[in-house]
Amino acid sequence: MGFWTQVGAILWKDIVVELRTKERLSSMFFFALLVIVIFNFAFEPGSGAMREIAPGILWVTFTFAGLLGLTRSFTMERENGCLSGLLLCPADRGAIFVGKALGNAVFMAAVEAVSLPIFAVFMNVAILPSLGRLMALMALGTAGFSVVGTLFAAMSANTKMREVMLPLLLFPILVPILLASVKGTEAVLAGEGLSGVSGWIKIASAFCALFTAAAIILFDYVVEE
Amino acid sequence: MNRRPVSTILGIAALAGMLVSPYFALIHASVEKEQKLAQKIFYFHVPSAWVAFLAFFIVFLASLLYLVKKDRVYDLWASAAAEVGVLFCTLVLLTGPIWARPIWNAWWVWDAKLTMTLVLWLIYVAYLMLRSYGGDAAQNAKFRAVLGIVGFLDVPLVYFSVNLWRTMHPQQIVIKGGLQADMLRALMVCLATFTVMFFAILFQRVSLARAEEELAMIQADLREKNPES
Repeated sequence: MGFWTQVGAILWKDIVVELRTKERLSSMFFFALLVIVIFNFAFEPGSGAMREIAPGILWVTFTFAGLLGLTRSFTMERENGCLSGLLLCPADRGAIFVGKALGNAVFMAAVEAVSLPIFAVFMNVAILPSLGRLMALMALGTAGFSVVGTLFAAMSANTKMREVMLPLLLFPILVPILLASVKGTEAVLAGEGLSGVSGWIKIASAFCALFTAAAIILFDYVVEE
Repeated sequence: MNRRPVSTILGIAALAGMLVSPYFALIHASVEKEQKLAQKIFYFHVPSAWVAFLAFFIVFLASLLYLVKKDRVYDLWASAAAEVGVLFCTLVLLTGPIWARPIWNAWWVWDAKLTMTLVLWLIYVAYLMLRSYGGDAAQNAKFRAVLGIVGFLDVPLVYFSVNLWRTMHPQQIVIKGGLQADMLRALMVCLATFTVMFFAILFQRVSLARAEEELAMIQADLREKNPES
């Protein structure tokens, strides 16, 4: 089996498991909804301040919901010794990592697709004029988040207090990609073209490229017994 | 064990340096015209920052070596360097606001360098937390090494992103221009002192970690030999 066939198999496995239980997607989505609603209480709806902080709220929603999915991603594999089974099968460790990371990105994208319209309605933000540019930024942000998140989820699943450990490890490292996503979204929502946010796109792309390469190498050390 | 004399010699050198440094910083270097005496903290602030970066670089190197060679010694070095690095990074974050208050009229400004130092501090505090919450010792050492590598790879990205973030706003303060010769001399003396002090603490910390390991082994041995005590 080639590398991408293996990746596809792992990804498909995660999607099938999810479609049978739907527990991960439903909890992620419901949590995203709660975050958006609670932020509406914290700030005056429709005020100028609200429009300024809307990009921040959007990304807090995405990352918190994504975090729920990540935690589940490897605790699920630990139950019934699934991870050992995965490691025993004749697949490249890099392929296992890419498959898991893609799975996490797909689930996060699904949640984003549903919560973005809700966000637009509740926060009264016009997203339609800049939807394409917004989606490009969301794709980059989600990719970066999933890559580093999957690596650290594999690590924190094996520590005490795993639910607590993951955000503590993850968020400091995510600073560049979060900053790029939030500031890029802010500019795009204000009507800026993609060329206007090229600095942020470069940083986000560099983040994705660097950590995808590093994570594929390092994942081997993380999962080996 | 020839580690003891090394750390003793470094310790004595650091002590000597610490006796001379205040003289250079406070008396030899002339008082800066605009900032007056407030600028004197510069001679301890900058060396602390340099040492913190050096420490984090050592964490990175030792982590790489640990993953490749699987020798516990490298993990001891990485952990010790992270601890000492966080200590000096904390010093930077403490001396910074003390300096900023009279000059910028604010304890904290979200300037690129400040933000960068804060993010680094967060990354390496997370490293120390991972160590204290870890399960299996060998596995945790591997995880720490991964975090030590990923954390350091993140440094340039953090640097570029906070720079881009802050340059979108007017730059509040820019410290530019060459230093006067006497100030530069004072800075160099302080830099040398802090570097020596860093290595003295690092060696001390590593030999302490080795002693702890030996003690744990002896205790385990004793428990095996007379289980009733």
